[in-house]
Amino acid sequence: MTANLRYTITAVLAAGVALAFMPWLLSDFLLSLALSCLMYVALASSWSMFSGATNYLSLATSAFFGIGAYVTAWGLETLPYALAVPLGGVIAGAFAALVGAAVLHLRGAYFAVLTFGLGELVRHSITYFEKTYARTVGRVLSDPPEAVTVYLTVLLITVATVATCAAVRASRFGLALAGVGADEERAQTLGVNTRRVKIAGFALSAFFAGALGAAMAVRWTYIEPMSVFNPFIGFQTVLIAMIGGAQTLLGPVVSAVVFSLFSELLRLQFPYAYLMLLGLLLIVLVLYLPGGIGSLFRGRWARA
Amino acid sequence: MGFWLELAATGLITGGIYALVAMGLNLQYGLMRIMNISHGEFLMLGAYLTWLAHTVFDINPVAFLPVVAIVLFFGGLAVYRLCFRRIARTSPSVDVIEARSLLVGFGLMYLVQNAALLAWGADMRGYSYLADAVEIGGARFAANRLLAFGFAIAASLALLALLRWTIFGKAVRAMMQSPTGAQLVGIDTAVLHPVVFGAGLALAGMAGGLLSMVYEITPSMGEPYTVTALIVITLGGLGSAAGCLAGGLLLGLVEAFGMHFTNPSLKTLLSYGVFIGVLLARPKGLFAR
Amino acid sequence: MPEMLLRARGVYVRFGGLVAVDRVDLEVRAGELVGVIGPNGAGKTTFFHTLSGVLAPTAGQLIVGGEDLTGHAAHEFANHGVARTFQTPRVFRDMSAEDNVRFGLEFAGRRRKHARDAFDNPAAILDLLGLGDVAAIPAGGLTPAKQRLLEIGMALGARPRVLLLDEVAAGLTHAEVDATAQLIRRVRDEAGLAVIWIEHAVRVLMNYVERVAVLHQGAKIADGDPRKVARDPAVVEAYLGEEGGGERKAA
Repeated sequence: MTANLRYTITAVLAAGVALAFMPWLLSDFLLSLALSCLMYVALASSWSMFSGATNYLSLATSAFFGIGAYVTAWGLETLPYALAVPLGGVIAGAFAALVGAAVLHLRGAYFAVLTFGLGELVRHSITYFEKTYARTVGRVLSDPPEAVTVYLTVLLITVATVATCAAVRASRFGLALAGVGADEERAQTLGVNTRRVKIAGFALSAFFAGALGAAMAVRWTYIEPMSVFNPFIGFQTVLIAMIGGAQTLLGPVVSAVVFSLFSELLRLQFPYAYLMLLGLLLIVLVLYLPGGIGSLFRGRWARA
Repeated sequence: MGFWLELAATGLITGGIYALVAMGLNLQYGLMRIMNISHGEFLMLGAYLTWLAHTVFDINPVAFLPVVAIVLFFGGLAVYRLCFRRIARTSPSVDVIEARSLLVGFGLMYLVQNAALLAWGADMRGYSYLADAVEIGGARFAANRLLAFGFAIAASLALLALLRWTIFGKAVRAMMQSPTGAQLVGIDTAVLHPVVFGAGLALAGMAGGLLSMVYEITPSMGEPYTVTALIVITLGGLGSAAGCLAGGLLLGLVEAFGMHFTNPSLKTLLSYGVFIGVLLARPKGLFAR
Repeated sequence: MPEMLLRARGVYVRFGGLVAVDRVDLEVRAGELVGVIGPNGAGKTTFFHTLSGVLAPTAGQLIVGGEDLTGHAAHEFANHGVARTFQTPRVFRDMSAEDNVRFGLEFAGRRRKHARDAFDNPAAILDLLGLGDVAAIPAGGLTPAKQRLLEIGMALGARPRVLLLDEVAAGLTHAEVDATAQLIRRVRDEAGLAVIWIEHAVRVLMNYVERVAVLHQGAKIADGDPRKVARDPAVVEAYLGEEGGGERKAA
């Protein structure tokens, strides 16, 4: 472990410990705001881990998130929360590995559209399954864990995600992912098993999104496919990561905090204007600062 | 017999619209590698323009179609000028063009869809136009559906003819096959690209206008059509306008028969199944040799 | 006799109706420096793609260090010691020159040793190529000539046993070509590599290699001592057919 990486991970852990006291300091409203921030920090970071490095634009985040949520929805009666969360991650990761093996030879728009289609496919499948076999549209979680437990669990996942991001970036695996992003064929001629690297990266990124879905599911108490597979979660994740700079570590984190706050505060009052602004910001950034805002600070943070 | 005919006709009617929506997107992607994910939003704009013209100014929706096409064509020129021209000029490779235009498409989707929500609200809108049933060969269809189908097919065929027989169409096809070669013989991308982009949006807008005669419209109606268009393009092959027409009609049929044999709630599942199946088995399209 | 490192047997590539490589045989042993020449469209680059695993041949066999790798992915070729450069430099533009060289060391070259430790770290390789002073600069910011050199450095980082060079002399001045050729010979001697060097410009290559193979319309029409090959009627015919292409391109 390099000194730089040790420093970064220490900083992430310290931030995690500090944030762990929030439930006893913040009001319920502020705590739920903090929960949203954490959720998008984790989603945007896990997305950047794979898509930022490899330039494979994945729109499957909401699929992974939803799969995790449904693991909790189906499993919480028999499983403890502490087990449902990692299980949600593992199942989402396994799904990603399976799907990745089939579709990761496609690039560009095809990959983006296909991952979006997969999310919709899973959502419609679950809707159909629930209607036909369980004769229900949604599910009510009868005995959800307390808000503090949920917050601490999500915090734990977020810290783990960001720390893993940092570790991946500093590792051979991260170098291989970056090679895939820069020039896949060239990386292959230098000995990278690009297929395996892509599948592993995709699955790892899905694991965190899935675990997060499983952890957040209890927040809704009533779970239906439309709300947990909401494509908006996936879109917003991509937007946040790209605006912040998906190739940096800190960019998506800061951007997630800023936009979750904006989102919670402005969306209630000016929902449409806020989303228009988000769209406009994305366009302007892609045109004039394609690396995202984080790329401005590249020199300092690129090596973190 | 009459029943099967009716089922097939229903599929073809939907498929005709699918083809029209997909063609514009396919031309844009084939020519410029712009995968405009906000394609459906411009369809929605076309629908709202037609609805406004009909409900506010009492203009016949069919007569208004050319206006929709012209408005969206110029809108397309503006969008191209403001967004995609810069991407094409500053990107180091086609892969980057593709990635960046995808993201800009996202931004446009957010921008346009929410602007529509702001302007017209999330409620469903609609009007009644030629809703009476017409009987053909023992099968009954709403007149507006037949009209929409007829227009969609006519517009698609006109586009095919345009591509095949006019100088402009030949230039477009040459450009798709060999961008450098086409530039060497004097085809000017600075004209061709914006025009084709504008034409793509015009086609989407017309499809939206036709749809507004048949269905209720909402600001979020566009997204599913974008996805459908992508499925059709996958079926028909990138850059192939004829493949698009065939692919669109085929998808319409698959949906109609699939729903009949299984379950209406499986419609979306079915089209995504077809999409993923084709993408995995024949990524160059069903009709590629 | 030195170890046989690379053996292509009846390599055949067809794109639709077009035969790009027509049953080419080529054997290369450790320590050899072999040139591959041919007029435009002779199938040189396509042949190279098959040798490096980037493209699987339609038919034929590729044996690397005694192992049959036909149909395997490019990284398997790299892991068995085949490294290549690309005609138009494909460096990782956002990574520093040093990281570009390190890339190969981290993957293909990870479990192999060079015969000489001289090439076992990125700094040494960059110094050898005269790129020591630009180690920290992102590769995309280097001049095209330096990117070409860096391509060689990336390949050397993979600790190759067979080095495939695709037109590394194109666009270089006479003096630069000379320096590059000396460098290649030195690397070959010190690390005991087999080097296969493709060049469109015949004259450049003929001066530096000990053996040359000529491709024409996908097929190998000559293979041997450069001086003999240059007088081979079939070779002369192939090049004259292209309006003295070798001369023109070399100029």
